[in-house]
Amino acid sequence: MRDRHLKYLLVLPAVIVVFATAIWPLVESLRLSFYEGRLSRPAFPQSFLGVENYTWAFLEEPAFWNSVWVTATYTFWTVLLTTLLALGLALLLAPGGRLRVTVQSLLIIPFAMSPALIGVSFRFMFNPEFGLFDAFFGIVFPPLATISWLSDPTLAFWVCIMADVWGWIPFLTLVLIGGLASIPRDTIEAAQVDGASGWRVLKDVTLPQLVPVLAVVLILKAIFSLKTFDQVYMLTNGGPGTATQTLSHYVYFNGLKYSQIGYSAAVAWLMVIPMIFLTYAYAKFVFQKK
Amino acid sequence: MALTGKQKKQSWNALQIVLILIAAFIMLVPIVWIAMAAFKTHVDVYQLKLFFAPTLENFKTVFQAPYHLEQKLFNSTIVAFVTVVLAIPIATCAAYSFSRFTLRGQTVLLVMILATQFVPAVVIVLPFFVMFRDIGLLDTRLGLILVNLSIVMPFAIWMIKGFIDGIPMDTEEAALVDGSTRMQVIRNIVLPMAAPGIVTAAIFCFIIGWNEFLFALILTSKDAVTLPIGLALFKAEEGDLWNLLAAAGIIIMVPMFVLALIIQKHFVQGMTMGAVR
Amino acid sequence: MAKVVLTNLTKRWGDFVGVDNQSLEIHDKEFLVLLGPSGCGKTTTMRMIAGLEDPTAGEIRIGDRVVNDALPKDRDIAMVFQNYGLYPHMTIYDNIAYPLKVRGTPKPEIEPRVQKAAEQVELTEFLHRKPKALSGGQRQRVALARAIVRHPQVFLMDEPLSNLDAKLRVSMRAELKHLSHMLQVTTVYVTHDQIEAMTLADRVAVMKNGRIQQLGTPDEIYNDPANLFVAGFIGSPAMNLIEGRIENGVFVTQGGFAVTKVEAPNRSGLVLGVRPEDLTIVEPGTGDFDVPVYAFENTGESVQITGQFNRQRVIAKGDRYLKREIEEMTGMSVDQKHLYLFDQSSGERIRN
Repeated sequence: MRDRHLKYLLVLPAVIVVFATAIWPLVESLRLSFYEGRLSRPAFPQSFLGVENYTWAFLEEPAFWNSVWVTATYTFWTVLLTTLLALGLALLLAPGGRLRVTVQSLLIIPFAMSPALIGVSFRFMFNPEFGLFDAFFGIVFPPLATISWLSDPTLAFWVCIMADVWGWIPFLTLVLIGGLASIPRDTIEAAQVDGASGWRVLKDVTLPQLVPVLAVVLILKAIFSLKTFDQVYMLTNGGPGTATQTLSHYVYFNGLKYSQIGYSAAVAWLMVIPMIFLTYAYAKFVFQKK
Repeated sequence: MALTGKQKKQSWNALQIVLILIAAFIMLVPIVWIAMAAFKTHVDVYQLKLFFAPTLENFKTVFQAPYHLEQKLFNSTIVAFVTVVLAIPIATCAAYSFSRFTLRGQTVLLVMILATQFVPAVVIVLPFFVMFRDIGLLDTRLGLILVNLSIVMPFAIWMIKGFIDGIPMDTEEAALVDGSTRMQVIRNIVLPMAAPGIVTAAIFCFIIGWNEFLFALILTSKDAVTLPIGLALFKAEEGDLWNLLAAAGIIIMVPMFVLALIIQKHFVQGMTMGAVR
Repeated sequence: MAKVVLTNLTKRWGDFVGVDNQSLEIHDKEFLVLLGPSGCGKTTTMRMIAGLEDPTAGEIRIGDRVVNDALPKDRDIAMVFQNYGLYPHMTIYDNIAYPLKVRGTPKPEIEPRVQKAAEQVELTEFLHRKPKALSGGQRQRVALARAIVRHPQVFLMDEPLSNLDAKLRVSMRAELKHLSHMLQVTTVYVTHDQIEAMTLADRVAVMKNGRIQQLGTPDEIYNDPANLFVAGFIGSPAMNLIEGRIENGVFVTQGGFAVTKVEAPNRSGLVLGVRPEDLTIVEPGTGDFDVPVYAFENTGESVQITGQFNRQRVIAKGDRYLKREIEEMTGMSVDQKHLYLFDQSSGERIRN
């Protein structure tokens, strides 16, 4: 067979799979978002509602706005903290040597841990009766030991952020170590010879050259933060109350617990919109490389 | 006397070592904590013991009634394995074509494949939930496998494409000049040369499939429940059964640690889909 | 301006010896070239002078100061890197200005000095561009400008021309020579290209296995090689090296082929060295020996004839109008004044 036919034939199965498993549900979700869709009733979906599901979310649902706020602040803090800490760790580990390489390979371990399990692990550590943290504070600063971390809305939110940051630092660190390694050594050495102190080399030469990788890292982390579900589900299940209810969790709750498929689809689609921008930015970086 | 430049450098180095050790400690504590609990008795967990007589009892209990974790283990293995077996050949063909040829609409296709990775899972799962309910695929391994393909395929395609991009064209062109057909080239030249990359992508996808949570949470209830969802079994009336949860956690994470260590060099490349090398 | 003194300098990585107990004094305002094949320790030596590599043992002095414990920034040096080491995110102006800025030079002083440096390397029209928008030769000039914008005690240049194409390399070489003459700054220059070494250097240090094999003017290195390695490394085509012995005033190869008269006592285990330009091509029977022509090459400005006897090949350079056919016999005559004898096992030169 000629290459010019073969090349399309080779991608065809993949395109079919991607369409069937990702594009179709995306479009179908959009369609459902315009309907009254209650699973409990027969003849699904029911009446066409137009944009009513969307206006309902915007105008009638404080819980929706709560999730938007939770997701936005959660994304802001996790992106900021993870990136900064990962950058610090990457700078510490990048020079190589036995200790640093060992720690680098340890980084892969938390990263391979399922987010759900990270949620469980942190719930365990923050357990008010026999959690690690209470034991720790019991020794270091007893007044903190009696705190019921996951029952307090603010503290629960920050525990979720801690778990997220903990789970993502290893990956971002590895990415940034890769980015640092791709900076030509001689630019750094040139700066040293030119008279720059360690700090100046970092500020004037290393970081500016790391900007593209940092941008990729920020976008990627933002995307995954916006989608957060697993950890929060296992750690706080959105609670106490709705203090840690992210948008994904909100959609899950309305769709599955209350069987409001149409409304859930509308909210889910509202999540897609920021993703489009982030994906666009991300794709630009990917293709710029080529 | 003021410190020389070299002395300052040395004390800064020492401080770095300390910081690295602290970071490594923080990285490992949650894992070690849960690993310890898995070997503790129920009583020891509640007494926060740092030193205890380790027991394997928990690992026995989780495989007995009423928990029967072996069923979840089986489901997880089958689902992750079949997902990989389906995804990798399809992804390899597509990756080769994307890497070696110029296709009409190639950039659009590639961006689309990339983008599907970023779609929130809740958006994907809602229509599948409705459809599976209608055609009876809810709570089946097959249903879960089909939906898992949506997250695994983009990774696999981009990752394998990255590996094939790195194989020089000369060998293939030499084989074409020597009289091979394109399919022979793919079979005899590309597959052997890309094999390490393909295996890496397969392991990577296996880990993703194994750790997948949201789809399994929504689409399974009893028969097809996977390990991460199985964790919910250990929530009893009187509170969480931490020692059993921890044992189940070990069973979930240890195989993945081993797999991750095997392919650690390529993890970053895979997760960023070639945006960072 | 300053001299650079290395005393018993050693660099080891585990068992690997990069630089082996080497001492060297580089005079004030001297242009010294470290020449050798890759892995000979020349770059390591330079990087230790720069402070980018810590010596395992030994002492480095720049001027009167021991700089072993000083960071690169405190050594008052400037360096040109093999890949130029330009800052890709800065304009050419900022690249050149960086050594001044980072050392706290007052702002009004920076601008004229950058301009002057840019003029010296003919870059003034590119100052607002980024390095990516420049050609290889232009980037090379930026790297030079960044080095000369200050007045450092020492210039260090690490194979600065090796990434340029052949033609550009020749013209940049001349510019570099001119510039170095104008600036009169002590310069250490690392290269594996013997022509760069010969043309640029006041003195050349030929290195191998972390040791300097010979230190001398280009003239001395070429015409008075200290050992087999230097003799074989310098010159293109390389010096003919013929193994054999001296029997009754005649140099004879293992196979019994008589090459030429040599006024020296009988001795075996020798290597005779003759440069191709010291071998004259003559009619068969009229020279020192006759050989069949193995290859005939015309380089335009001259011809090279490779002759073969036993398993030994010899190259002779001849007049550009000369013609020989392959396998035809030709005579070769040896210039007796430019013969070199070496001990085969130690490689050392044997002087009469």
